[in-house]
Amino acid sequence: MIQKILIANRGEIALRIHRAAHDLGLKTVAVHSTADTDAMHVRLADESVCIGPPSAALSYLNIPALISAAEISGADAVHPGYGFLAENARFAEIVREHKLVWIGPEPDHIRTMGDKVAAKRAAAALGLPLVPGSDGAVADAREAAEVAARIGYPVLIKAASGGGGRGMKVAVDEAALAPMLAQAKTESAAAFGDDTVYIEKYLGKPRHIEFQIFGDGRGRAVHLGERDCSLQRRHQKVFEESPSPAIDAATRDRMGRRCADAMAALGYAGAGTIEFLYEDGEFYFIEMNTRIQVEHPVTEMVTGVDLVAEQIRVAGGLPMSLEQDKLGLRGHAIEVRINAEDPRTFAPSPGTIRTVHPAGGPGVRVDSAVYAGYRVPPYYDSLIAKLIVHGPDRAACLRRLRRALQEYVIEGVKTTLPLHQALLEEADIQNGDYSIKWLEAWLQDQRD
Amino acid sequence: MSDTQPMQVDVGLVRELAQLLDETNLTEIEVEEAGRRIRVARTAPAIAAAPVYAPAAAPVQAAAAAAPAAAQAAPDDIASAIRSPIVGTAYLTPEPGQPSFVREGQSVKEGDTLLIIEAMKVMNPILSPRAGTVVRVLIGNEAPVEYDQPLMIVA
Repeated sequence: MIQKILIANRGEIALRIHRAAHDLGLKTVAVHSTADTDAMHVRLADESVCIGPPSAALSYLNIPALISAAEISGADAVHPGYGFLAENARFAEIVREHKLVWIGPEPDHIRTMGDKVAAKRAAAALGLPLVPGSDGAVADAREAAEVAARIGYPVLIKAASGGGGRGMKVAVDEAALAPMLAQAKTESAAAFGDDTVYIEKYLGKPRHIEFQIFGDGRGRAVHLGERDCSLQRRHQKVFEESPSPAIDAATRDRMGRRCADAMAALGYAGAGTIEFLYEDGEFYFIEMNTRIQVEHPVTEMVTGVDLVAEQIRVAGGLPMSLEQDKLGLRGHAIEVRINAEDPRTFAPSPGTIRTVHPAGGPGVRVDSAVYAGYRVPPYYDSLIAKLIVHGPDRAACLRRLRRALQEYVIEGVKTTLPLHQALLEEADIQNGDYSIKWLEAWLQDQRD
Repeated sequence: MSDTQPMQVDVGLVRELAQLLDETNLTEIEVEEAGRRIRVARTAPAIAAAPVYAPAAAPVQAAAAAAPAAAQAAPDDIASAIRSPIVGTAYLTPEPGQPSFVREGQSVKEGDTLLIIEAMKVMNPILSPRAGTVVRVLIGNEAPVEYDQPLMIVA
C-alpha cells in the first residue's frame, strides 16, 4: 500500500494531488524548480525537494532528479499529474524499475495511445469509431470518387505529408472532387515534395466530446459520462461542461458503454479520456489521453467521484470502488480556465498577484495554487486557476457561473476572467449551440 | 577531476603530500611504499608557486577563529556557498569509516574533491571551484540534498 507520494508536477494539479493524498491520509513530497520555491504545493506538502533550475527540461522533466528526489525522501509512489512526464512511457517504466508505484496506466498503453497511428489502429481494434476515409493513399480520381461515394460528401482531401492546413481541400460534391483532388496534389507536391493524398469524411462543425473512463487493470472498466470541450482556441480548451448540451441520455449510455467495454478489453488501469469529434449523431475517435485531465473536476462535480483519489487507490492495489450501475450524472457542471493572459490578445501576463479573492458559496469549486503575493513565473503554463460551478440544471449552472465570475477578483496580472464574462453573454453559449470552430470565429468577430 | 595520469604516479597522494607540506611549513617530505618512493620538496623555484597558497594561509586562522560566529552570520556566506548541482545523497567521506575529504579550516586547491553526491547509484564528485579554505561544511554525512542547496563555504 502507498504511504508517501512524490508529486512530479507543479501548479494547481500538484495541489490537487496533494489534497487527494491527504484526504486518504497519505504523505506527500513536492518537487520544485528554483522558480517555484514559494509555490503553494511546496508550502503544503509534507516534504519538498528542489530538483533543478527554472527550465522545465532541467527540473520537472528531469527524470534522474525526480527519481533521486523519490529516493532521498523515501517516497513509494509517483503521481505525474498532467503534462510534463504524465504520458512518457519510459518515465513510467523507470519509476517501476526503481520499485516505486506508478500512479498511472501500463507503460505499453501510454506508448500505444501516444502514437497517432498506433492509437487509431488500437481504437479501431477495440471497436471505437474512426473518421471514415480511404485506407491510405488514393491513386487517382476514379478511386477518390469510389471512396467519396462510400463515405458520403463533403469529403476532405489531405496531404499525407501535410500539416498546418496546407494541401487540404474540401470537395462538397462529386463535381468538385476531381478539380479539388488535382489542386490538393499540386499544393502538396509544392509544399512537401510529395503529392500523396488521402481522403476522409469532412466534418464541418463538429463538437469535441470526450468520455471519462476508469479501469481497474484487471478487465473491469466504467465510464463517467462525457465532457463537452468544444470551446477551444488553438486547440487549447477554454470552457468545459458536463453533460454536453448536445448529448441525450440514450446516446451517453450507448457511447459510454462502448468506451468502457473497449477499456475493459484493453485491461486499462486508472483514469483515462477518450476524445471524439461529434457531428450529426456520430462519434469519431481523435485520441486517448492516458492520464488525469485538466478538466476532470467537471466530471467530479456531476458524479461525486474523486478521480485522483481513485487513481491512487487503484495504483496502490485496492479494488476499484466505481460501479457502472451506481454512477450517474447529477445536475450540470462547467469549468472555465483562468489563465494569466491578456483576455484579448492572449499574451502571457506573468507577474506578482497583488490581490486574489476567489469565488465561493454553494456549488462553487476553485482549483488554484495562487495566493496574494505569489509571483506567476514566466517559465511555465499560464493556467493559474480553474473555476468550476455546479447547478441542478444547465440554466442554473450558467447563472451560478455568472455570479461566481462577478465575485472572483485577481489583481496584479491580467487574466481571462473578462473573456469568460463576455462569453456568458452570448446567446450561442447560453443555448449550448457551439462547435469547435465557434470560439475562434467569435474572437475574430471581436477583433473586427 | 579527470586528471590524466601519464605515468604510474599516484597523483592524489602527491597532492596530499604537497598539501601537508604546505600546512606544516616543512621543506621536504619523502614516503616509501611497496617499492615506490615519492619525495615532495619545496625548493627555490617552487617558491614561485607559494603565492597561490599564501593568500589562503591567512584566512585559515581568521576563518577558524570566526567559525562559531559563522553559525549566525550566515546570509552573505551562504550566498557565496558551493551549491548542489543535483538532487541526491551527500557523502563527506570517500568510503564509509574513512576520514572526510575535507575538514573545516582546511585549505583546498581548485579542483579538490570536497564531497560526493550520489544520485541514482552514480557518485558525482563535487570539486572546489577555487583555492581557499573550507570555512564551513553546511551538511552532514549521508544527508539528502536538493538541487541548489548550499553545501560548503570555501573562501
